[in-house]
Amino acid sequence: MRPLDWTILVGSLVLVVAYGLWRSRDSGTVNKYLLAGKTMPWYAMAFSIMATQASAITFISTTGQSYVDGMRFVQLYFGLPLAMVILSATAVPIFHRANVYTAYEYLERRFDAKTRALVSVLFLIQRGLAIGVALYAPAIVLTVLLGWPDRLTTLVMGGLVVFYTTIGGIKAVTWADFQQMLVMLTGLVAALVTAVWLLPREVSFLDAVHLAGAAGKLNPVVTRLDWNDRYNLWSGLLGGMFLALAYFGCDQSQVQRYLTGRSIAQSRLSLLFNAAAKVPMQFLILFIGTIVFVFYTFEKPPMVFQPVEAARLEQSGAFYRDLAARYEAAFEERRRAARQLLEARRQGEQAAVARSLQQYRQASLAFEAAREEGLRLVRQERNQPSFNDTNYIFLGFVTRYMPAGLVGLVMAAIFAAAMSSISAEINSLATVSVIDIYQRHFRREATDAHYLKAARLATVFWGAYAVVTAEFGSSLGALIEAVNILGSYFYGGLLGVFVLAFYFRGVTGNGAFYGVLAGEAAIFLTAYLTGLSFLWYNVVGCLVVVAVGVGISRLERSYLRGARV
Amino acid sequence: MRPPNRQPEGQEEPPPLLRTWGRLYAAVILYLALLITGFYLFGRRFTP
Repeated sequence: MRPLDWTILVGSLVLVVAYGLWRSRDSGTVNKYLLAGKTMPWYAMAFSIMATQASAITFISTTGQSYVDGMRFVQLYFGLPLAMVILSATAVPIFHRANVYTAYEYLERRFDAKTRALVSVLFLIQRGLAIGVALYAPAIVLTVLLGWPDRLTTLVMGGLVVFYTTIGGIKAVTWADFQQMLVMLTGLVAALVTAVWLLPREVSFLDAVHLAGAAGKLNPVVTRLDWNDRYNLWSGLLGGMFLALAYFGCDQSQVQRYLTGRSIAQSRLSLLFNAAAKVPMQFLILFIGTIVFVFYTFEKPPMVFQPVEAARLEQSGAFYRDLAARYEAAFEERRRAARQLLEARRQGEQAAVARSLQQYRQASLAFEAAREEGLRLVRQERNQPSFNDTNYIFLGFVTRYMPAGLVGLVMAAIFAAAMSSISAEINSLATVSVIDIYQRHFRREATDAHYLKAARLATVFWGAYAVVTAEFGSSLGALIEAVNILGSYFYGGLLGVFVLAFYFRGVTGNGAFYGVLAGEAAIFLTAYLTGLSFLWYNVVGCLVVVAVGVGISRLERSYLRGARV
Repeated sequence: MRPPNRQPEGQEEPPPLLRTWGRLYAAVILYLALLITGFYLFGRRFTP
């Protein structure tokens, strides 16, 4: 990081926070603090929803994902527009007319207090588990690449987020998200343009796309149905739709964004904007990863992108030296085959193109095998079977090759992504803690000023909790992935209870309560006993909640009818 | 402690495009279908 990069990074952080605080200077009541007085325009909510969803680790690892696995990850988002349409038609008007602070408050009106409490606690557990990781995960990557202590990174990010979220409430969060999304988009476009610009002079943009295709990276639609394959068209459309329904319809960190809308129409437009923009945005992020892959076809990439492990590997003796020589040879062979393929395409001779393509693919396989051996060596020596360096690929490219100024811009985008997700999580955790737990169960009648103070204290509490749990992040190690997957275990249950609330009029409070418990048990059993991809957990959980909820409600009604007779 | 509802009951604002929400939803679904088709063709065009 050079002085210009620091100036851009610090300047953008200060501007974003100052702008958020300036826009939120009138947040002196609970309604304004938690719901922005229901005055937000659709574009602010739309950008806030996008920024909240794009966490730093998504930003960092999605590009690495396409480098390694191609663009098929984009299919995860295919169900999102469908979910947005369903939510715009159902959840948005219901929540608006119910006039609630939280999605879970609605559940008490529709069912009973115990269902509301259960779902609120499930949300607090799920988000509480995720928030420290959301702060720690980008910190560890930035720590390794920039040489900052991870404590400093978590403190800077956590401190800034707590500062503006506590003072300005949701208005500060939403307007800061708006700015952060602009920073992210600018950073993404700058990264793509630079990656193309850094390609060798004789390799055009179209050549790069052809090479990415020849390497099998351009696979944004996989039509083969495989239940255990995470990313194909069908799991994306159906599993992705259920995931998006749960996330945008039942997770307070998202619901709270569109509850701030000045009308149903404004809230609907914010969701529909996401329906239109999210898939192309993910496509763009993944495409950057494939261009970085092509760049590294001509510029030798490190065998292991995680710099600390790469340095350690270099000290590991004769076996490494032999492996490094094979890796170097495999890289040279792949580069030669890539140039030959491009030349054959320019000549237009089909036989030569087919021959060069085969050589390029063989060379790519040999190169990948050599790299995989390096990764295996790290896994063995460090005794970390799940080690992979995907998260370091894009940032390694940024810090090594991008010009001064743009490094600061991309770093600012990553900070923006982290802060926008964390601020929304802190804000929603505080809202649920105060509205669904404190006010409902501990202090039912108090002044507006009292609840406003409680909301600010809860924000500080959850912010401090995030920083403290992130401090212990280093001891989580490989658990980071486990904690993220654990978070997805709860969405099926949450979605199921809202489906019951919206679409099944006859369901009782007991039906909903035991339905959620049964749905959660089904998800954990599915995860434990089968190899089903996690995207399907939401479908399983939701269906079990609905089936058990409807069944128990019918039994209850027939029992009551029998008792009356 | 209820948040005040700014929108009067029973009044539904139309969308700024296509006049009804149903049409806008249909347009979003059509857009998704076109996007997926476009991605599929893009992948096929550049993957030999």
